[in-house]
Amino acid sequence: MHEARSEELEEGGGIHSRSDGTSSPSPGPDNIYQPSLQISAIMSSVLQKLISPVAGTSAEPPRNKVTVVGVGQVGMACAVSILLRDLCDELALVDVMEDRLKGEMMDLQHGSLFLKTSKIVADKDYAVTANSRLVVVTAGVRQQEGESRLNLVQRNVNVFKSIIPQIIKYSPNCTLIVVSNPVDVLTYVTWKLSGLPKHRVIGSGTNLDSARFRYLMAERLGIHSSSFNGWVLGEHGDTSVPVWSGANVAGVNLQKLNPDIGTDGDKEQWKATHKAVVDSAYEVIKLKGYTNWAIGLSVADLTESIIKNMSRVHPVSTMVKDMYGIGEEVFLSLPCVLNGSGVGSVVNMTLTPDEVAQLKKSADTLWGIQKDLKDL
Amino acid sequence: MSTHEKLIGHVMKEEPIGCRNKVTVVGVGMVGMASAISVLLKDLCDELALVDVMEEKLKGEAMDLQHGALFLKTHKIVADKDYSVTANSKVVVVTAGARQQEGESRLNLVQRNVNIFKFIIPNIVKYSPNCILLVVSNPVDILTYVAWKLSGFPRHRVIGSGTNLDSARFRHLMGEKFHLHPSSCHGWIIGEHGDSSVAVWSGVNIAGVSLQSINPKMGADDDSEHWKEMHKKVVDGAYEVIKLKGYTSWAIGMSVADLVESILKNLHKVHPVSTLVQGMHGVKDEVFLSIPCVLGNSGLTDVVHMTLKPDEEKQLVKSAETLWGVQKELTL
Repeated sequence: MHEARSEELEEGGGIHSRSDGTSSPSPGPDNIYQPSLQISAIMSSVLQKLISPVAGTSAEPPRNKVTVVGVGQVGMACAVSILLRDLCDELALVDVMEDRLKGEMMDLQHGSLFLKTSKIVADKDYAVTANSRLVVVTAGVRQQEGESRLNLVQRNVNVFKSIIPQIIKYSPNCTLIVVSNPVDVLTYVTWKLSGLPKHRVIGSGTNLDSARFRYLMAERLGIHSSSFNGWVLGEHGDTSVPVWSGANVAGVNLQKLNPDIGTDGDKEQWKATHKAVVDSAYEVIKLKGYTNWAIGLSVADLTESIIKNMSRVHPVSTMVKDMYGIGEEVFLSLPCVLNGSGVGSVVNMTLTPDEVAQLKKSADTLWGIQKDLKDL
Repeated sequence: MSTHEKLIGHVMKEEPIGCRNKVTVVGVGMVGMASAISVLLKDLCDELALVDVMEEKLKGEAMDLQHGALFLKTHKIVADKDYSVTANSKVVVVTAGARQQEGESRLNLVQRNVNIFKFIIPNIVKYSPNCILLVVSNPVDILTYVAWKLSGFPRHRVIGSGTNLDSARFRHLMGEKFHLHPSSCHGWIIGEHGDSSVAVWSGVNIAGVSLQSINPKMGADDDSEHWKEMHKKVVDGAYEVIKLKGYTSWAIGMSVADLVESILKNLHKVHPVSTLVQGMHGVKDEVFLSIPCVLGNSGLTDVVHMTLKPDEEKQLVKSAETLWGVQKELTL
């Protein structure tokens, strides 16, 4: 939100109330209550009786600003999760649908009493996103019935071409989290369009698949998801790879207890749990039309690690060229250490030859799509 | 021996205790789900139940929340159209019912929502006879009365979300103007949640300093600061958001979680919520309006006696009469 200072207030020297009075051409979302400059002046004289400034009058820039691009169901779930976890001191929303954008901003602002994020702004002009530490990209088009993935990707490349350069223009030092699908390809696209070093472009990847996997496995065992450790890596989607060799509870390796785990020959059919993970998004979409809460929570989880510089390990989509024999510039999910700069390092997980082969196969499929993309 | 048995040994001989702080949300529309996610993100309950008549949407919403279990501290999230899933709830949040269309007043929704409540309330009572009912559906003051009548609960266990949100909106606007966090701006909106809510100007303060003492004309028509305009923005706030995005959800969801927190954590915090005000402030009829109330784990145990100006009391009485006019026509 741009703070226009009226002349009278400068001389008065009191707390400067925001007088966002006039509307466009200057960018800046409307405040709900728009007093005329005169009223602001009167308000400020009451303020002078009430409040005496001690520090300088210029506003401090935000230290932990997060921007969410796209205010659809996923974007708003990310926004609300981030707000309710007290992760940022400023939240910016951007979208092309102006009414929806303003309505969502107002709805969040009306809850500001219950939050600890003092500034929530929104505009279709990216200037509102300036100085973000983290930008979450949820914008993009959804697959039409019968549309090929390549076509969908090309359409999203065109959308991203209008988004990514704008983000970088106003927050050249940000870290980007890409959520839009197909996430691995779009993270690659974002990396190319942004010109950022690879450690600062992250795809939400299999963070959610792993969360779903841990939930379903933990349910079978009667424990909390966080007490079941298991990783789903690779492509976010149908060909994600459950790393059965790492699945454990309290360090007790499940594959040692059941060497058939995850195979077709497993009597207990644990493989079905991974299949349920793959199918779960489709199931939820079939039932309620879209998914949002789980992805929103998972994005807030990644945001927390980055903003708080925690160095936690998350399965997120990162540039995997030269790992596991992959020769192309593709993004796939591997266990990454996330800290204040983005991907600090990657954990070299010990994978079976079969698991490595699956990763390679995903990489080849992704490269097959990426190499035909135009105008990157 | 299965993998499960090899890994984990059960050592407790008794039956598990089950839930101690269960919250049910009735209605999985935008308001219900915003309430649910706010309650979950504030770690308020050990079990969350969702009910609705739309079975697929209900199942989808429950699954979506369950998939986020890794990031939450609520181990059990259940959902069914059968109310048995709500058994033993401490708080039941009722968001079910029709919502305002653009330009439609809340009072217009009454009869439609009364009929829905006739199905919902007895079912809730059957499975959680000791719960606290928190009514959110609009028009909230009338529907809180309806829920009270249909449930047979004592009045301290039937609460309407009332002007908790209006007051939050007002404090947000105050915060914007004074460049302060809303929690440091104090102002109470009471009465009807809706077009005839009452802003109690005498109570508006920052750090205990009454702003009306600085500006005695506050809230009057000839008030040069146009505080009345700020109150009008609160009243119009919902309509504006509905016009822009089709509905409101986040703010009401957060305000619900705020109330649930006070109840479940037995905070004894004072909130402006809708309660039976018969006999107070000159109100003669059996109506529910928002006044500052103390909320704890028994429910709404006490009310705060505000010193209102004669015209503020007149407004409350007038709201009460309007509400009673609608209520007495209802078939319950």
